Amino acid sequence: MSNLIFSTWRGEFIDNRNKSAEELSKSDFKLPENYTADVDSKAFIGWDGVAIFNEDVDAVRLATEYAAQYQVYSEACGRCAPGRWGGRILYDLLDKIARGEGSYQDLDHLKEVSETMMLTSKCEIGKTVPKPILDLIEHYSDQFSKVIDEQVKSNHYDDDIKYIAKVTAPCTDMCPAHVDIPAYIEGVRDMQLADSLVATRETMPLAHTCGRVCPHPCEDACRRTNLDEPISIMELKRLGADYETDHGLDWQHPREIKAPKNDGKKVAVIGAGPAGLTTAYYLALDGIQVDIFEELPVNGGEVAVGVPEYRMPIDKYQKDIDLVLNMPTVNIFNNHRVDAKRLKEIDAEYDATMLGFGARLSKKVRAKNERADINGYWGAIEMLDKVNLWTKYGIGSTASNELKGKTVVCVGGGFTSMDVVRCSIREGAKKVIMLYRRDEKTIIRNTTYEEYHEAVEEGVEFIFHSAVNEIYDEDNQLVKLLVDKFELVPDPNGGRAQLVKIDDGSFEIECDYLIPAVSQAADLQLIPKEWDIKLTSWNTILTNGKDYMTNRDGLFASGDCEYGPMTIVNAVGQAKRAASVISRYIYDGKVSLTDDEIMEDHLVKLKVYDKKEKITGWIPGLPRTVSEKLETDERKDNNKEVNLGFTGEEALAEAQRCMRCYYISMAVL
Amino acid sequence: MYEMLLYFNGGAMMSKIKNITVTIDGKTCHSEFGKTILQIARENDIYIPTMCYLTKVMSIASCRMCVVDVEGVDGMILSCQEPATDGIVISTNTPEIYKQRQSIMKLYDVNHPLECGVCDKSGECDLQNKTLEFDVAQQNFTAKDQNRKVQNWGHVSYDPALCIMCEKCVRVSTEITGDEALQVKFGGYNSTILNVKQDKNYASLGEAAAVCPVGALVDTSFKYTSNAWELTKIPATCSHCSSGCELNYEVKQDSILNSEEKIYRVTNTYEFSSLCGAGRFGYDFENKDVTKDTDEFKKAVEAFKVADTIRFSAVITNEEALILQRLKEKLNYKLICDEAKGYQDFLKAFGEVTGKNLYSANLKTISDSRAIIVLGSKINNDNPMVKYHITMASKHNQSRVAYMHTIEDTEIQNIVTQFIKYEVGSEEGVVALLADRLLKDIELPVKKREFLDSLDIGYLSAESNIGEEELDALAKSLIKKRGFSLIVGEDLYSHPRAKNIAKILGLIETYTDFNILLTPPSTNALGVSLICDLDKEAGNYTIGYNSTGDYILSATGDGNLDMPSFNQQEGTITTIDKRVVVTNVALPYGGYTLNDLANICWLNHEYTIDYTKELPTSKGFSAVEFDLLPNEFSITGKENRGYLLTSIKVVKDTSLDEVEDLPDYDGLVVYRCNSVEQFSQFTSKTTQLKEDNNLVGSPVFATVAKIKDGDRVKFIVNDIEYNRVFKIDTSMKGTIAINPTNDMGLSSTLVSSYRYSKLKLEIQNKNVSS
Repeated sequence: MSNLIFSTWRGEFIDNRNKSAEELSKSDFKLPENYTADVDSKAFIGWDGVAIFNEDVDAVRLATEYAAQYQVYSEACGRCAPGRWGGRILYDLLDKIARGEGSYQDLDHLKEVSETMMLTSKCEIGKTVPKPILDLIEHYSDQFSKVIDEQVKSNHYDDDIKYIAKVTAPCTDMCPAHVDIPAYIEGVRDMQLADSLVATRETMPLAHTCGRVCPHPCEDACRRTNLDEPISIMELKRLGADYETDHGLDWQHPREIKAPKNDGKKVAVIGAGPAGLTTAYYLALDGIQVDIFEELPVNGGEVAVGVPEYRMPIDKYQKDIDLVLNMPTVNIFNNHRVDAKRLKEIDAEYDATMLGFGARLSKKVRAKNERADINGYWGAIEMLDKVNLWTKYGIGSTASNELKGKTVVCVGGGFTSMDVVRCSIREGAKKVIMLYRRDEKTIIRNTTYEEYHEAVEEGVEFIFHSAVNEIYDEDNQLVKLLVDKFELVPDPNGGRAQLVKIDDGSFEIECDYLIPAVSQAADLQLIPKEWDIKLTSWNTILTNGKDYMTNRDGLFASGDCEYGPMTIVNAVGQAKRAASVISRYIYDGKVSLTDDEIMEDHLVKLKVYDKKEKITGWIPGLPRTVSEKLETDERKDNNKEVNLGFTGEEALAEAQRCMRCYYISMAVL
Repeated sequence: MYEMLLYFNGGAMMSKIKNITVTIDGKTCHSEFGKTILQIARENDIYIPTMCYLTKVMSIASCRMCVVDVEGVDGMILSCQEPATDGIVISTNTPEIYKQRQSIMKLYDVNHPLECGVCDKSGECDLQNKTLEFDVAQQNFTAKDQNRKVQNWGHVSYDPALCIMCEKCVRVSTEITGDEALQVKFGGYNSTILNVKQDKNYASLGEAAAVCPVGALVDTSFKYTSNAWELTKIPATCSHCSSGCELNYEVKQDSILNSEEKIYRVTNTYEFSSLCGAGRFGYDFENKDVTKDTDEFKKAVEAFKVADTIRFSAVITNEEALILQRLKEKLNYKLICDEAKGYQDFLKAFGEVTGKNLYSANLKTISDSRAIIVLGSKINNDNPMVKYHITMASKHNQSRVAYMHTIEDTEIQNIVTQFIKYEVGSEEGVVALLADRLLKDIELPVKKREFLDSLDIGYLSAESNIGEEELDALAKSLIKKRGFSLIVGEDLYSHPRAKNIAKILGLIETYTDFNILLTPPSTNALGVSLICDLDKEAGNYTIGYNSTGDYILSATGDGNLDMPSFNQQEGTITTIDKRVVVTNVALPYGGYTLNDLANICWLNHEYTIDYTKELPTSKGFSAVEFDLLPNEFSITGKENRGYLLTSIKVVKDTSLDEVEDLPDYDGLVVYRCNSVEQFSQFTSKTTQLKEDNNLVGSPVFATVAKIKDGDRVKFIVNDIEYNRVFKIDTSMKGTIAINPTNDMGLSSTLVSSYRYSKLKLEIQNKNVSS
């Protein structure tokens, strides 16, 4: 049941006042009419317009409160003359009108100030705040006239009404961890790199890591794309982290660490990967005791033993790990395998438990004669474990013992398979082949342009539209593969193109190793059967994707074991939210979200980024800065970091391209 | 390392310059891609108003006054921040733009206190100027006023009510001086500037005050003393260190009762250049109330007749140095300049390898660097301007900065990326290790390769305490970087093995892409080194000129015959940039000068500056009349001050000595080093520069020496007795204490020995402070 009365959201104009039921228009957007299941919104106001859901809304006060929220949030900005003083005047004038002391001259001044703000403000928050206010003045002019003509307070001026505001940005909204991206870019621009790092750590403890190996979904929502090319958001994150490390600074926390609560409450975390570390960090910032149980002798999870050194140097990742492990209330227990029995003990002992054990079972390629015991059949996770444990920690033995001079075939198409083939090159394989079911464009979309091209440069041979049909062994030793070729047949109905096998296209590849890297599954045997934990259709742990509690009270899950194999930033985003929920749950036993988190979810639904929006006030055609990489010959036989990162000048130039697309939105309850 | 070698050998692979053409207000302008619209406009003499733009820092973009119109682009474009793209057509002033600029000025004027009558900035205030320019005659808007108190931060005071939040001061504090004391406190209308290091009272904050466009940040000492327009600007050069920064002494009469002029403040061309706190606040070192004492003058002439030696301070003009050299040539005086002799020999030995009489780096190459090594200097104290330029490289280029010294300096932690500690006395070994690492895999003449191959790396590493992994890390951090600078300091010039150290450094200068800066240890040490033939040993009877002697000429009034101080003289000095710059007379002086004495003793030039055109061209000086030397910056910031020395070829002698066994400096050691913004007897004399004349050491030093904070101690270094209070600095480590010399008057110039000395302390009385 829609209660939409009025909307100017994103260019639409709906005015359902005084209309009959049949004439009512609906919005094209997922406006937050229902704040929560139990609470309705009366109105929603934001950068792109205003929507009213309740006849009784006091438009004058709504405008005033929105301006007031700009004042409150101007701490995030307030750094240009028009925004700083304009915002204040906007509020002062509106409040004067709302309390019945205003004049039409004040309205004129208000429009004058609004125009200057919209044309000259430094960031979008200043440019967009006047818009819905002017909409209200125009379309709810009767309310404004009344308070001016009669010099009375607006309808609900003194009433207790809840206004909930949130500042976001398209990139921040798209980032699974909702990192305050404009803030950390501003830190780079201002050369206040410690501030930049603090802005990142607000929601993302793994700044070194996600400044290097994040697939940066944020960049798909960068408004700069509407003008020319997206900002190189991900790489700018590195600067703050490197600054802390290079200058030997104390840990830069987003806020002061609360004193250990020492109240007997404690949280267990299973797995010291991105999800586990993130959970621990944010709980520990609140002074809550956290014990992490890690099966391996080394910490960091799949990023440590999966992502290779040349992409993610361990000395840098170790800094991110140390940040968490150095928190006063965090303990780590290594070499501590948690099985179903142990999990039951932990569950009983701790006030809440976070499962963050990832997805570390290599899935099969589904070929004939596919047996894990064939010599030469080597799961991607096991292979990368071996490579990384040796190159990063000197544990085990070098994988070049196995791979040197050999022919390696990898089946995949995602990041893990890229790691497999590029590591194989570095371990001295004679020939490395990647089989992929789909095409070049898709592999680039699934990974990154750089990742694919660097692999090609290093000598990996890609065979697209192909899949292993049968594995041949001699005395249980892999000798060759039968590979089928496919072609993409477009769906006449416009759906996804179908892969159709080419009848006489099959061929054989002689090889020493087949490394399946098609996907990974979560190893669920540590979950006690009798708990009857609900799973997704992907065989991962089911939560509602908002509070990350499983169907068992006090048992939470985040990261790959919840979502399936996904990105670091996804794990961080989930774990950060879950930590927030846990921090309340262990005290009140309730699963709740803060207003900020509720608004965050509404905005994700509404979609902050509008790829059709026309950008004004910026010159198009400034190219995205690309950082320098090691040349192929400099990198392919070693584990040196390939991406050298931005030089200072490049980083500043790139940061200058950021348009600071902060937006403020507000719901009225 | 080994990627970087490509760049050592192959030269810098700089990004290609792309030429662009844009049209601004109908004028065709040629420039390069990367420059902002505002920069191109200024190059072409086109005016765009700004309130927050400061050329020497990155664009701040807070005022929004510089918006322009670009054809085909909707909305207004921020010209200070947006690089111009090829072919764009720009209008810098349209009625709509004017209206918005006027609106911004109206906003700036909201509630700005109407106290111009008593404001120190009045008459040179950007807010006043732009308010008039945009015809804002009345205030249409109001906002609730805030009660905000004036804050006294020591050298500078801050009035938040006058502050327009342009953020220039914060940028200067971050990007230039690097004290990082100032921050923006975000808060919209309540935004303010915070001094987060108020306990330190940085004199470098004078630099932040200099760029304040309004009266919010002012020099505390200047406050309420004069209107800006009453002061006369005397363009001059700072005489405190070898950076020779451009400045103006601003003078007017002392008071109604006293018509004698005095310096009220120091200003500079802050748009392009900078001044450290010593330059800005240390201006009242003039030799006051001196008249011509004819009797004393006669005695001085007699002394010159008896004397066989002239000992002088390197705080001296080129012209005076030339007078002394001429006197030597005529009368065979021995010339002793303790502050310059070690440097002169070092420069000579360095040149024997490089084949040139000068080093290659300057301040600009430092600030443009991507990697910097600082070796043998407590650079923050020794030369603030070098430190400022390292800060610029660090902030603008993310430059790697390896700081190689015996003592860690927490004051520069924010710009140093790697601290490499070495043992006192091991400098020759350190330089050899560095050369070995930087020259690895570079093709060298056989003899030089043999020299490096013969080094006992294990021994040098162990004795200097520099681990191979530290040099590995250093080399790794240089990978694919370009623009390298090696800054060398005073520790090395007076080292017993200085000559060989200089020659090894000469190898690095010659065969790698490192540009080396041999920081001159005193104001005109470079000029003196080039002009004078200095002697090592004094004779029987010494004339001291601002130094010790049997008969003393002194500009601080400490001697027999008075001399003018630097701000009472005209002449030139030779700076760290190898630039000959002019200084002028700011304050009157009634006594005799060195030239007067020289004219009695067989030289004949009416004015000291008659020597300017005679400075030795064989050493790279130019034969230019003093009055023809410019002293200004162009509108785009080009430094037109004096002239640059020409590098002269010198005879090579590339033979290298074997590296000697490294000496042992176990136990307590004292390091000769003045506190920040103190340099000499002249800075010591000024009233505003704080002086910390204590022996300062770590808690460990205190334990080993068995002394406590506040104890009074006595010790002798190089025959000079010091009575000092000992202070513990908890940021320090190890057994090296720091001992200043600037308060030692004429003796402060006696600095020809190695900077570190083994220390024998005599404890006089315990804890005088308690």
